[in-house]
Amino acid sequence: MTIGDGVKAAALLFVAAVAQVSIFSQLHVYGAVPDVLLVSLVAVALLRGSVAGALGGFFAGLLVDTASLGTLGLTSLVLTIAGYWIGRYGETTGRDRAHAPFLSVAVVTVLYQLGLLVVHFVLGESAPAAAVVRSLIPAIVLNLILTAPIYALVRRLLRPAARDELTAEVQLLG
Amino acid sequence: MAPPSRSARAAVLASSVQRSKPPPYPSKARSALIRRAVVVGLVIVALALVTIAFRSPTAGAFHDVQGAGSTALRPFQIAAVRIAQPFRDAYEYVHGLANAKAENQKLRKQNRALRERDVHTAAQAALVPSLLKLLHFEHGATFPSGYRAVNTAVITPPGGVFAHSMTIDAGSSSGVRLNSPVASGPALVGIVSNVFPDTSVVTLLTDPNSFVAAFDPRTKVRGMMHTGPGGTLILDQVSKQLKVNQGDPLVTAGTHNARYPDLYPYGIPIGRVTSVGATDTATFLQVQVQPFANLGSLDSVAVLVPKKQHR
Repeated sequence: MTIGDGVKAAALLFVAAVAQVSIFSQLHVYGAVPDVLLVSLVAVALLRGSVAGALGGFFAGLLVDTASLGTLGLTSLVLTIAGYWIGRYGETTGRDRAHAPFLSVAVVTVLYQLGLLVVHFVLGESAPAAAVVRSLIPAIVLNLILTAPIYALVRRLLRPAARDELTAEVQLLG
Repeated sequence: MAPPSRSARAAVLASSVQRSKPPPYPSKARSALIRRAVVVGLVIVALALVTIAFRSPTAGAFHDVQGAGSTALRPFQIAAVRIAQPFRDAYEYVHGLANAKAENQKLRKQNRALRERDVHTAAQAALVPSLLKLLHFEHGATFPSGYRAVNTAVITPPGGVFAHSMTIDAGSSSGVRLNSPVASGPALVGIVSNVFPDTSVVTLLTDPNSFVAAFDPRTKVRGMMHTGPGGTLILDQVSKQLKVNQGDPLVTAGTHNARYPDLYPYGIPIGRVTSVGATDTATFLQVQVQPFANLGSLDSVAVLVPKKQHR
């Protein structure tokens, strides 16, 4: 990952975080909120790997926590793990698969919501499990709708890395 | 590498086979190590931030840094909101248009219900004056003693100039009996001429077969009131020697002879004398009477039922 790519990814995630906090957090559709930041992070992680995903998740979460004056580090923790996990998926089995962005967004939406729920619960804060579970399906649908345009945009910004640039512990044959 | 002239056996069994030297540290393994170190480090930092923020949520250096960061991000948030505002307005406009039809239908339905309620309320309110009249009559001085009032609504008012009866919403189940006097406010209306369990028919004063013994409290003159020529009420049987003045009120005469009890108790106002005339050929005065009750528009009436029923 070059410095230029890093700047582009940082700018993209900054804009996504600000838009998420300022605009998208107010759009409630059947109890769910479209998460443009999560989808952007998934796109960056798939295209630039696990380290970029983890770093992007950490700093994007820090921005969200700072802008929303929430518990500092909470969103960072969950997004860091999410970015790393999606990055690893992109480096290994998800590489060059057309359905990878959609599958990643669907799975990460669920894990992200449940992760936030667990962290809030551990911290003794309000953790409405029933509401979170009810909003899972609408949240997945909303994020899947956002996936195609956002992934296309991120793909234009960050051209896919060459195969040898991506780290891989799983050797692909053929 | 084994020379090409060596046999396969020699190649396999030879102990001095040269192998390529492996790299000292594989780059992929090194990058995996870096990757894991990065993510573990970030997670530890995030956990540390959560711990610090959780332990001192309202004070401390991190709190100040977070506040400063929020202030720095504020212009970007405002800009984002302003950029999104036209889209939000457009969405709300379209959403409003999409819902306009359903909302219009809902409001029409609500409007119809309110109009119906308004008409019902107006109808109820229109009954209040007549009900108040009945109440005043019941508690007034002219209400005959020994009677109780059965206040009821008029179901079928007299229709047309040839109709001299009406139907009321009270019958034998309410205590109404045949020949019970009926009043509207303090004025006599007629008499019950037919009784059913829940309804009754009232014959009005204007019926040609209706006769009421009347009394002028001012001049002490008695007479028989009935419908005269042209449908007007007249006070008949008043001798020309007696004096009746225009404007005198007339009330029911009541029972004059105990052997022949009158259907109407004494003192129910009937009407006012509008004209008094006498001719040389006539035996009695020609006294025209205007009834107090507006017999053409009755909403509710009171049936006077004796407290002691005689069967």
